[in-house]
Amino acid sequence: MTCEEARLLIGADPETLTPALEEHLRSCAACRALRADMLRLNAALRRALAEPPSLRAARTSRSAAPPPWRQWALAASVVLAIVAALGVWVLRPSDTLASEVVAHVQGEPQSWFATHNVSAGAIDHALKNSGIGLDVSSDKIMYAESCWFRGHYVPHLVLETEHGPATVLILRHEHVRALDHFHESGMTGVIVPSGEGSIAVLERGGGRVDELAGKLRQQVHWLPEPDDHSQSKDHP
Amino acid sequence: MRNSSPPSPVSSISERADARASFTALFESLRPDLLRFAQWLARDRALAEDIVQEALLRAWRSRAALKDPSAARAWLLTIVRREHARLYERKRLELVSLDEAAEIPDSAPAAGADGELVMLRHAIMRLPLEYREPLVLQVLGGFSTEEIARELELTATAVLTRLFRARNKLRALCGVTASGVATPGEPA
Repeated sequence: MTCEEARLLIGADPETLTPALEEHLRSCAACRALRADMLRLNAALRRALAEPPSLRAARTSRSAAPPPWRQWALAASVVLAIVAALGVWVLRPSDTLASEVVAHVQGEPQSWFATHNVSAGAIDHALKNSGIGLDVSSDKIMYAESCWFRGHYVPHLVLETEHGPATVLILRHEHVRALDHFHESGMTGVIVPSGEGSIAVLERGGGRVDELAGKLRQQVHWLPEPDDHSQSKDHP
Repeated sequence: MRNSSPPSPVSSISERADARASFTALFESLRPDLLRFAQWLARDRALAEDIVQEALLRAWRSRAALKDPSAARAWLLTIVRREHARLYERKRLELVSLDEAAEIPDSAPAAGADGELVMLRHAIMRLPLEYREPLVLQVLGGFSTEEIARELELTATAVLTRLFRARNKLRALCGVTASGVATPGEPA
């Protein structure tokens, strides 16, 4: 068992020890420390959930209407916030996209280790939030999640290829002008412009990402986007 | 063949009454657990009470399905979860936002263990349902990964992913590790 696999199991269910995890923990101080940390978090979680949350007894009706100046102040602050957000959006360096893609994939180490094909329903769920169609045969898809990335839900897939697993993020709202190759944290990847957005393809080690990215450009279909569904979800 | 006398109507009625009484007692004893579970899912006390009431009605109607009374808690929690899911699907646009639902303290929570617990409880409330639901099922309900996967119609890998993300988000939202050392927020 690798540290990545161990971290997934510890983070998901710190109190369960499989024989393989136990063996790994005997020789890995970092994972032992993580487990100790997660066990403490779990104990705190139990205490936190032992009481009902502090809730209002019922949906309260709105209290007295706020003074008009408050609404103007609120509107002005919303406009300022939008302008500031747009400024940050426009000015942010494009090369951070690759870094954020890598960071996202690193945050889901378990995705590389999926050994079973995901169900058609799970694939559909991962794609439908973003209005994406995909021609790839479902028996090649080992992992499919709808992930929160840069303010939108995007399909995060792992495809089984001849050279091993490859991660694919279909980024409807991210635009690149040309192929953007990167090597970071032991991953090789490329972000290619495609249809209404771009597609990121990553492999561990020195992968043949261009070949897969080229195929995916043909296989991805950009359907009408759902009604801003991603933005309306409850997300911190 | 041995002759056996048919059960007397009086004893049959009495047995049924006993069974009803024991079901009622069982349901009532579990009601606080169910309500707490529903409140963590729905984040609204009135809504949670409706959910539990409806779930207990459904449970009562299908009480014959409960063969083993020791499995009653898990059975009822499952019914509550499904009732919440039904309501969530039906009324998702009407459900209250966190800011409307929760009593968020105006001032910073007290320092120390109590303060951290308040922060953690608030962080749990801020988790999206797709993460909060499996976490509450696991920690509060005591369900295994496989049981959660069956209940939520997900693969076990997807459940592990959500639980892993849920705990990472809690650490990021609280801004502290379980051991109390500050950590930077994790990217979503």
